[in-house]
Amino acid sequence: MIPPAIQIQDLVHRYGRHEALHGLSLTVEPGCCYGFFGRNGAGKTTTLKCLLNLLRPQAGSVRVFGLDPRRDEAEVKSRLAYVPDFVAFYPWMSVRETLDYQASFRPRWNRDIEARLLARFQLDPAAPTSGLSKGQRTQLALAGAIASEPELLVLDEPTSGLDPLVRREFIRTIIGAYQEVAPGRRTVFVSTHLIAEFEGLIDRFTILDQGRAVLTADADEARTKFRRFRARFEGDPPPASAFSGAKSFRREGRDLELVVNGDGDAILERLRSHRPASIETESLSLEEIVVATVGDPVV
Amino acid sequence: MMLHINFKSGVPVYLQIVQQVKAAAAAGTLRPGEALPSVRALAEELRINRNTAARAYAELESEGVVENRHGAGCYLRAQTASPLRHAVRSERLASELDAVIVQAHHLQIPDAELLSLLRERLAAFRGRQSGNDRTP
Repeated sequence: MIPPAIQIQDLVHRYGRHEALHGLSLTVEPGCCYGFFGRNGAGKTTTLKCLLNLLRPQAGSVRVFGLDPRRDEAEVKSRLAYVPDFVAFYPWMSVRETLDYQASFRPRWNRDIEARLLARFQLDPAAPTSGLSKGQRTQLALAGAIASEPELLVLDEPTSGLDPLVRREFIRTIIGAYQEVAPGRRTVFVSTHLIAEFEGLIDRFTILDQGRAVLTADADEARTKFRRFRARFEGDPPPASAFSGAKSFRREGRDLELVVNGDGDAILERLRSHRPASIETESLSLEEIVVATVGDPVV
Repeated sequence: MMLHINFKSGVPVYLQIVQQVKAAAAAGTLRPGEALPSVRALAEELRINRNTAARAYAELESEGVVENRHGAGCYLRAQTASPLRHAVRSERLASELDAVIVQAHHLQIPDAELLSLLRERLAAFRGRQSGNDRTP
Protein backbone atom coordinates (compact mmCIF):
# COMPACT_ATOMS: atom_id res chain seq x y z
CA MET A 1 0.00 0.00 0.00
CA ILE A 2 1.25 3.47 -0.89
CA PRO A 3 1.38 5.72 2.19
CA PRO A 4 -0.27 9.16 2.03
CA ALA A 5 1.80 11.83 0.27
CA ILE A 6 1.36 14.02 3.35
CA GLN A 7 0.04 13.10 6.76
CA ILE A 8 -0.08 15.73 9.48
CA GLN A 9 -1.38 14.81 12.93
CA ASP A 10 -2.10 17.13 15.85
CA LEU A 11 0.60 19.55 14.76
CA VAL A 12 1.41 22.31 17.26
CA HIS A 13 3.84 25.14 16.77
CA ARG A 14 4.42 28.27 18.85
CA TYR A 15 6.51 31.32 18.08
CA GLY A 16 7.37 32.49 21.61
CA ARG A 17 4.02 32.90 23.28
CA HIS A 18 2.09 33.09 20.05
CA GLU A 19 0.66 29.75 19.02
CA ALA A 20 0.60 29.46 15.23
CA LEU A 21 -0.75 25.91 14.93
CA HIS A 22 -3.08 24.35 17.48
CA GLY A 23 -3.35 20.69 16.65
CA LEU A 24 -3.68 20.62 12.86
CA SER A 25 -4.42 17.28 11.18
CA LEU A 26 -4.78 16.53 7.49
CA THR A 27 -4.05 13.74 5.01
CA VAL A 28 -3.21 14.14 1.33
CA GLU A 29 -3.61 10.95 -0.72
CA PRO A 30 -1.22 10.24 -3.59
CA GLY A 31 -2.37 11.64 -6.93
CA CYS A 32 -4.62 14.19 -5.26
CA CYS A 33 -4.56 17.91 -5.90
CA TYR A 34 -5.02 19.41 -2.46
CA GLY A 35 -5.82 23.05 -1.70
CA PHE A 36 -4.70 24.69 1.52
CA PHE A 37 -6.65 27.90 2.14
CA GLY A 38 -6.97 30.53 4.83
CA ARG A 39 -6.31 34.15 5.68
CA ASN A 40 -2.85 35.59 6.15
CA GLY A 41 -1.53 34.47 9.52
CA ALA A 42 -3.77 31.40 9.64
CA GLY A 43 -0.70 29.15 9.85
CA LYS A 44 -0.29 28.02 6.23
CA THR A 45 3.37 28.99 5.86
CA THR A 46 4.22 27.53 9.28
CA THR A 47 2.70 24.23 8.14
CA LEU A 48 4.69 24.25 4.89
CA LYS A 49 7.89 24.98 6.82
CA CYS A 50 7.23 21.94 9.01
CA LEU A 51 6.74 19.81 5.86
CA LEU A 52 10.03 21.02 4.41
CA ASN A 53 11.93 20.63 7.69
CA LEU A 54 12.58 24.36 7.93
CA LEU A 55 10.83 24.41 11.30
CA ARG A 56 10.66 21.88 14.06
CA PRO A 57 7.14 21.39 15.39
CA GLN A 58 6.77 21.35 19.18
CA ALA A 59 4.16 18.60 19.16
CA GLY A 60 2.38 16.32 16.73
CA SER A 61 3.77 14.56 13.72
CA VAL A 62 4.44 15.25 10.06
CA ARG A 63 4.98 12.46 7.54
CA VAL A 64 5.79 12.89 3.87
CA PHE A 65 5.56 9.65 1.81
CA GLY A 66 5.34 7.96 5.22
CA LEU A 67 8.78 9.36 6.15
CA ASP A 68 9.83 11.85 8.78
CA PRO A 69 11.07 15.04 7.02
CA ARG A 70 13.54 15.58 9.88
CA ARG A 71 15.05 12.10 10.11
CA ASP A 72 14.79 11.24 6.41
CA GLU A 73 15.38 14.74 5.08
CA ALA A 74 17.48 13.72 2.08
CA GLU A 75 15.00 11.17 0.78
CA VAL A 76 11.95 13.37 1.36
CA LYS A 77 13.60 16.31 -0.42
CA SER A 78 14.68 14.14 -3.34
CA ARG A 79 11.06 13.14 -3.98
CA LEU A 80 9.34 16.52 -3.66
CA ALA A 81 9.72 19.90 -5.33
CA TYR A 82 8.79 23.26 -3.89
CA VAL A 83 7.79 26.41 -5.75
CA PRO A 84 7.55 29.41 -3.41
CA ASP A 85 6.00 32.82 -3.80
CA PHE A 86 9.31 34.56 -4.30
CA VAL A 87 11.98 32.57 -6.09
CA ALA A 88 15.65 33.38 -5.50
CA PHE A 89 18.34 32.25 -7.94
CA TYR A 90 22.08 32.95 -7.97
CA PRO A 91 22.17 36.17 -9.99
CA TRP A 92 25.47 35.31 -11.69
CA MET A 93 24.03 32.13 -13.22
CA SER A 94 22.23 31.85 -16.54
CA VAL A 95 18.95 29.97 -16.98
CA ARG A 96 20.94 26.98 -18.31
CA GLU A 97 23.42 27.03 -15.39
CA THR A 98 20.60 27.37 -12.86
CA LEU A 99 18.83 24.28 -14.19
CA ASP A 100 22.10 22.29 -14.34
CA TYR A 101 22.88 23.34 -10.78
CA GLN A 102 19.41 22.19 -9.61
CA ALA A 103 19.70 18.95 -11.61
CA SER A 104 22.98 18.15 -9.83
CA PHE A 105 21.05 17.69 -6.55
CA ARG A 106 18.27 15.55 -7.99
CA PRO A 107 18.16 11.81 -8.49
CA ARG A 108 16.00 12.26 -11.60
CA TRP A 109 15.97 14.95 -14.26
CA ASN A 110 13.92 14.82 -17.44
CA ARG A 111 15.76 16.75 -20.18
CA ASP A 112 12.84 16.40 -22.60
CA ILE A 113 10.40 18.04 -20.23
CA GLU A 114 12.95 20.70 -19.40
CA ALA A 115 13.46 21.55 -23.09
CA ARG A 116 9.70 21.55 -23.79
CA LEU A 117 8.99 23.88 -20.88
CA LEU A 118 11.82 26.29 -21.74
CA ALA A 119 10.37 26.52 -25.26
CA ARG A 120 6.82 26.87 -23.98
CA PHE A 121 7.79 29.69 -21.61
CA GLN A 122 10.15 31.22 -24.21
CA LEU A 123 12.98 31.27 -21.71
CA ASP A 124 16.42 31.88 -23.26
CA PRO A 125 18.89 29.38 -21.74
CA ALA A 126 21.70 31.93 -22.05
CA ALA A 127 19.84 34.71 -20.22
CA PRO A 128 21.21 35.64 -16.78
CA THR A 129 18.65 34.99 -14.02
CA SER A 130 19.26 38.51 -12.65
CA GLY A 131 17.41 39.93 -15.64
CA LEU A 132 14.28 37.74 -15.37
CA SER A 133 10.88 39.23 -14.59
CA LYS A 134 8.80 37.86 -11.69
CA GLY A 135 6.74 35.78 -14.12
CA GLN A 136 9.85 34.34 -15.79
CA ARG A 137 11.41 33.49 -12.42
CA THR A 138 8.28 31.57 -11.46
CA GLN A 139 8.31 29.80 -14.85
CA LEU A 140 11.96 28.86 -14.41
CA ALA A 141 11.25 27.53 -10.92
CA LEU A 142 8.28 25.54 -12.25
CA ALA A 143 10.30 24.13 -15.18
CA GLY A 144 12.98 22.97 -12.73
CA ALA A 145 10.41 21.55 -10.33
CA ILE A 146 8.63 19.54 -13.04
CA ALA A 147 11.83 18.38 -14.79
CA SER A 148 12.87 16.74 -11.51
CA GLU A 149 9.72 14.53 -11.77
CA PRO A 150 8.76 14.79 -8.10
CA GLU A 151 6.00 12.71 -6.55
CA LEU A 152 4.85 15.77 -4.63
CA LEU A 153 4.74 19.35 -5.84
CA VAL A 154 4.40 21.87 -3.01
CA LEU A 155 3.26 25.30 -4.16
CA ASP A 156 3.17 28.34 -1.86
CA GLU A 157 1.29 31.27 -3.43
CA PRO A 158 2.91 30.37 -6.74
CA THR A 159 0.89 32.70 -8.93
CA SER A 160 0.58 35.82 -6.79
CA GLY A 161 1.81 38.92 -8.55
CA LEU A 162 1.75 37.28 -11.99
CA ASP A 163 -0.31 38.51 -14.91
CA PRO A 164 -3.45 36.50 -15.81
CA LEU A 165 -1.94 34.88 -18.90
CA VAL A 166 1.12 33.66 -17.02
CA ARG A 167 -1.18 32.34 -14.28
CA ARG A 168 -3.24 30.36 -16.79
CA GLU A 169 -0.11 28.97 -18.41
CA PHE A 170 1.18 27.98 -14.98
CA ILE A 171 -1.97 25.97 -14.21
CA ARG A 172 -2.00 24.36 -17.68
CA THR A 173 1.62 23.33 -17.21
CA ILE A 174 0.78 21.53 -13.98
CA ILE A 175 -2.14 19.73 -15.66
CA GLY A 176 -0.28 18.94 -18.86
CA ALA A 177 3.39 18.45 -18.09
CA TYR A 178 3.39 17.50 -14.41
CA GLN A 179 0.44 15.12 -14.49
CA GLU A 180 1.52 13.58 -17.82
CA VAL A 181 3.24 10.52 -16.39
CA ALA A 182 1.78 8.33 -13.62
CA PRO A 183 -0.95 10.81 -12.60
CA GLY A 184 -1.90 8.48 -9.73
CA ARG A 185 1.41 9.30 -8.06
CA ARG A 186 1.70 12.96 -8.95
CA THR A 187 0.42 14.88 -5.96
CA VAL A 188 -0.03 18.64 -5.70
CA PHE A 189 -0.29 20.56 -2.42
CA VAL A 190 -1.06 24.20 -3.06
CA SER A 191 -1.40 27.02 -0.57
CA THR A 192 -2.96 30.06 -2.22
CA HIS A 193 -5.27 33.04 -2.00
CA LEU A 194 -5.96 32.91 -5.74
CA ILE A 195 -8.49 30.16 -5.24
CA ALA A 196 -10.58 30.79 -8.36
CA GLU A 197 -7.49 30.25 -10.48
CA PHE A 198 -6.94 26.76 -9.06
CA GLU A 199 -10.61 25.86 -8.62
CA GLY A 200 -10.82 23.22 -11.37
CA LEU A 201 -7.62 21.56 -10.23
CA ILE A 202 -8.56 21.10 -6.58
CA ASP A 203 -9.92 17.65 -5.62
CA ARG A 204 -9.94 18.24 -1.92
CA PHE A 205 -9.05 21.07 0.44
CA THR A 206 -8.58 22.24 4.00
CA ILE A 207 -9.47 25.69 5.26
CA LEU A 208 -7.19 26.76 8.06
CA ASP A 209 -8.19 29.42 10.56
CA GLN A 210 -6.16 30.49 13.59
CA GLY A 211 -4.04 27.38 13.43
CA ARG A 212 -6.91 24.91 13.16
CA ALA A 213 -8.51 23.06 10.27
CA VAL A 214 -12.04 24.47 10.21
CA LEU A 215 -13.20 22.64 7.08
CA THR A 216 -11.84 19.70 5.10
CA ALA A 217 -13.91 18.48 2.16
CA ASP A 218 -13.97 17.29 -1.44
CA ALA A 219 -14.43 20.26 -3.75
CA ASP A 220 -17.53 18.92 -5.54
CA GLU A 221 -19.13 17.87 -2.27
CA ALA A 222 -18.49 21.31 -0.71
CA ARG A 223 -19.98 23.10 -3.73
CA THR A 224 -23.08 20.90 -3.46
CA LYS A 225 -23.52 21.69 0.25
CA PHE A 226 -22.77 25.40 0.33
CA ARG A 227 -25.59 27.23 -1.43
CA ARG A 228 -26.94 30.73 -1.61
CA PHE A 229 -30.65 31.51 -1.91
CA ARG A 230 -31.90 34.92 -2.96
CA ALA A 231 -35.56 35.65 -2.58
CA ARG A 232 -37.67 38.72 -3.25
CA PHE A 233 -40.95 39.26 -1.44
CA GLU A 234 -44.05 41.32 -2.15
CA GLY A 235 -43.96 42.66 1.41
CA ASP A 236 -41.49 42.39 4.30
CA PRO A 237 -39.28 39.29 4.16
CA PRO A 238 -39.59 36.84 7.08
CA PRO A 239 -37.18 37.35 10.01
CA ALA A 240 -33.90 35.51 10.60
CA SER A 241 -35.56 33.40 13.30
CA ALA A 242 -37.53 31.61 10.55
CA PHE A 243 -34.29 30.17 9.15
CA SER A 244 -32.40 28.60 12.02
CA GLY A 245 -29.62 26.46 10.60
CA ALA A 246 -28.67 28.92 7.86
CA LYS A 247 -25.03 29.96 7.91
CA SER A 248 -25.74 33.57 7.13
CA PHE A 249 -28.79 35.73 6.75
CA ARG A 250 -29.13 39.14 5.14
CA ARG A 251 -32.23 41.27 4.66
CA GLU A 252 -32.39 44.38 2.58
CA GLY A 253 -35.73 45.94 1.79
CA ARG A 254 -37.82 43.22 0.13
CA ASP A 255 -34.80 41.01 -0.57
CA LEU A 256 -33.50 38.16 1.50
CA GLU A 257 -30.22 36.32 1.09
CA LEU A 258 -29.35 33.08 2.86
CA VAL A 259 -26.19 31.00 2.77
CA VAL A 260 -26.58 27.40 3.84
CA ASN A 261 -24.17 24.57 4.48
CA GLY A 262 -25.82 21.18 4.36
CA ASP A 263 -29.57 20.98 4.99
CA GLY A 264 -30.25 23.37 2.10
CA ASP A 265 -33.35 21.59 0.77
CA ALA A 266 -35.16 21.88 4.10
CA ILE A 267 -34.32 25.57 4.39
CA LEU A 268 -35.34 26.14 0.76
CA GLU A 269 -38.72 24.53 1.49
CA ARG A 270 -39.16 26.85 4.49
CA LEU A 271 -38.25 29.81 2.31
CA ARG A 272 -40.82 28.74 -0.31
CA SER A 273 -43.51 28.37 2.36
CA HIS A 274 -43.26 32.14 2.89
CA ARG A 275 -44.39 32.54 -0.73
CA PRO A 276 -41.68 34.79 -2.17
CA ALA A 277 -42.28 36.42 -5.55
CA SER A 278 -39.05 34.91 -6.85
CA ILE A 279 -36.22 32.66 -5.72
CA GLU A 280 -32.76 32.20 -7.18
CA THR A 281 -30.39 29.51 -5.98
CA GLU A 282 -26.72 28.94 -6.72
CA SER A 283 -23.80 27.03 -5.27
CA LEU A 284 -20.83 28.80 -3.75
CA SER A 285 -17.46 28.71 -5.47
CA LEU A 286 -14.49 27.54 -3.39
CA GLU A 287 -13.42 31.14 -2.83
CA GLU A 288 -16.89 32.03 -1.54
CA ILE A 289 -16.85 28.95 0.67
CA VAL A 290 -13.60 30.16 2.23
CA VAL A 291 -15.10 33.61 2.82
CA ALA A 292 -18.29 32.07 4.28
CA THR A 293 -16.21 29.83 6.55
CA VAL A 294 -13.57 32.21 7.92
CA GLY A 295 -15.06 35.62 7.11
CA ASP A 296 -16.83 37.80 9.64
CA PRO A 297 -20.05 36.19 10.72
CA VAL A 298 -23.02 38.02 9.21
CA VAL A 299 -25.72 38.60 11.81
CA MET B 1 -17.04 21.40 -29.21
CA MET B 2 -17.06 24.21 -26.69
CA LEU B 3 -17.46 23.13 -23.10
CA HIS B 4 -17.94 25.48 -20.22
CA ILE B 5 -17.62 24.71 -16.53
CA ASN B 6 -19.75 26.62 -14.06
CA PHE B 7 -18.49 26.10 -10.51
CA LYS B 8 -21.61 27.75 -9.10
CA SER B 9 -24.10 25.35 -10.64
CA GLY B 10 -23.75 22.81 -7.82
CA VAL B 11 -23.31 20.07 -10.43
CA PRO B 12 -20.08 18.06 -10.04
CA VAL B 13 -17.53 19.11 -12.67
CA TYR B 14 -17.27 15.69 -14.35
CA LEU B 15 -21.07 15.56 -14.65
CA GLN B 16 -21.16 18.97 -16.34
CA ILE B 17 -18.86 17.58 -19.03
CA VAL B 18 -21.02 14.45 -19.38
CA GLN B 19 -24.17 16.54 -19.73
CA GLN B 20 -22.64 18.96 -22.24
CA VAL B 21 -21.26 16.19 -24.45
CA LYS B 22 -24.67 14.50 -24.42
CA ALA B 23 -26.39 17.79 -25.24
CA ALA B 24 -23.98 18.40 -28.13
CA ALA B 25 -24.61 14.87 -29.41
CA ALA B 26 -28.39 15.26 -29.12
CA ALA B 27 -28.32 18.60 -30.92
CA GLY B 28 -26.09 17.27 -33.69
CA THR B 29 -23.20 19.68 -33.05
CA LEU B 30 -21.19 16.56 -32.29
CA ARG B 31 -21.68 13.72 -34.78
CA PRO B 32 -21.24 9.97 -34.56
CA GLY B 33 -17.66 9.02 -35.35
CA GLU B 34 -16.37 12.45 -34.47
CA ALA B 35 -13.33 12.59 -32.15
CA LEU B 36 -13.44 14.21 -28.73
CA PRO B 37 -10.37 16.02 -27.38
CA SER B 38 -7.89 13.87 -25.45
CA VAL B 39 -8.15 13.80 -21.66
CA ARG B 40 -5.04 15.97 -21.44
CA ALA B 41 -6.25 18.51 -24.02
CA LEU B 42 -9.67 18.74 -22.39
CA ALA B 43 -8.18 19.14 -18.90
CA GLU B 44 -5.72 21.81 -20.04
CA GLU B 45 -8.37 23.69 -21.99
CA LEU B 46 -10.83 23.79 -19.10
CA ARG B 47 -8.05 24.03 -16.48
CA ILE B 48 -9.46 21.10 -14.58
CA ASN B 49 -7.87 18.09 -12.96
CA ARG B 50 -7.03 15.27 -15.38
CA ASN B 51 -8.77 12.80 -13.09
CA THR B 52 -11.97 14.81 -13.53
CA ALA B 53 -11.71 14.76 -17.33
CA ALA B 54 -10.90 11.04 -17.30
CA ARG B 55 -13.87 10.36 -15.02
CA ALA B 56 -16.21 12.23 -17.39
CA TYR B 57 -15.03 10.15 -20.37
CA ALA B 58 -15.33 6.91 -18.38
CA GLU B 59 -18.91 7.82 -17.50
CA LEU B 60 -19.73 8.69 -21.13
CA GLU B 61 -18.23 5.40 -22.22
CA SER B 62 -20.19 3.37 -19.66
CA GLU B 63 -23.38 5.06 -20.84
CA GLY B 64 -22.55 4.15 -24.43
CA VAL B 65 -22.27 7.75 -25.60
CA VAL B 66 -18.62 7.51 -26.62
CA GLU B 67 -16.24 4.71 -27.35
CA ASN B 68 -12.60 4.61 -26.41
CA ARG B 69 -10.48 3.24 -29.27
CA HIS B 70 -7.35 2.13 -27.54
CA GLY B 71 -4.54 4.57 -28.06
CA ALA B 72 -6.53 6.43 -30.72
CA GLY B 73 -8.77 8.56 -28.51
CA CYS B 74 -12.41 8.89 -27.78
CA TYR B 75 -15.18 8.98 -30.41
CA LEU B 76 -18.88 9.69 -30.36
CA ARG B 77 -20.98 6.59 -30.98
CA ALA B 78 -24.20 6.38 -32.94
CA GLN B 79 -27.13 7.38 -30.72
CA THR B 80 -28.88 4.03 -30.86
CA ALA B 81 -26.08 2.52 -28.85
CA SER B 82 -27.30 3.30 -25.33
CA PRO B 83 -26.75 0.17 -23.25
CA LEU B 84 -29.41 1.28 -20.78
CA ARG B 85 -32.75 -0.44 -21.07
CA HIS B 86 -35.62 1.71 -22.29
CA ALA B 87 -37.35 1.54 -18.89
CA VAL B 88 -34.25 2.83 -17.11
CA ARG B 89 -33.85 5.65 -19.60
CA SER B 90 -37.44 6.81 -19.25
CA GLU B 91 -37.21 6.55 -15.46
CA ARG B 92 -34.19 8.90 -15.49
CA LEU B 93 -36.05 11.36 -17.63
CA ALA B 94 -39.13 11.16 -15.40
CA SER B 95 -37.16 12.28 -12.36
CA GLU B 96 -35.77 15.26 -14.30
CA LEU B 97 -39.31 16.16 -15.34
CA ASP B 98 -40.51 15.90 -11.74
CA ALA B 99 -38.01 18.59 -10.77
CA VAL B 100 -39.35 20.84 -13.53
CA ILE B 101 -42.94 20.22 -12.36
CA VAL B 102 -42.03 21.15 -8.77
CA GLN B 103 -40.32 24.30 -9.99
CA ALA B 104 -43.37 25.21 -12.11
CA HIS B 105 -45.58 24.75 -9.05
CA HIS B 106 -43.46 27.17 -7.00
CA LEU B 107 -43.40 29.68 -9.82
CA GLN B 108 -47.22 29.30 -10.02
CA ILE B 109 -47.21 28.35 -13.70
CA PRO B 110 -50.45 26.56 -14.67
CA ASP B 111 -50.25 23.05 -16.19
CA ALA B 112 -51.47 24.16 -19.61
CA GLU B 113 -48.76 26.81 -19.81
CA LEU B 114 -46.10 24.31 -18.74
CA LEU B 115 -47.17 21.90 -21.49
CA SER B 116 -47.17 24.56 -24.18
CA LEU B 117 -43.75 25.72 -22.97
CA LEU B 118 -42.44 22.17 -23.30
CA ARG B 119 -43.81 21.95 -26.86
CA GLU B 120 -42.23 25.32 -27.68
CA ARG B 121 -38.79 24.27 -26.33
CA LEU B 122 -39.01 20.97 -28.18
CA ALA B 123 -39.75 22.79 -31.43
CA ALA B 124 -36.83 25.18 -30.85
CA PHE B 125 -34.54 22.19 -30.19
CA ARG B 126 -35.68 20.38 -33.36
CA GLY B 127 -35.13 23.61 -35.29
CA ARG B 128 -31.53 23.85 -34.07
CA GLN B 129 -30.99 20.18 -34.80
CA SER B 130 -32.08 20.44 -38.41
CA GLY B 131 -30.04 23.64 -38.76
CA ASN B 132 -26.97 21.67 -37.72
CA ASP B 133 -27.77 18.86 -40.12
CA ARG B 134 -27.60 21.20 -43.05
CA THR B 135 -24.10 22.47 -42.27
CA PRO B 136 -21.46 20.36 -44.02
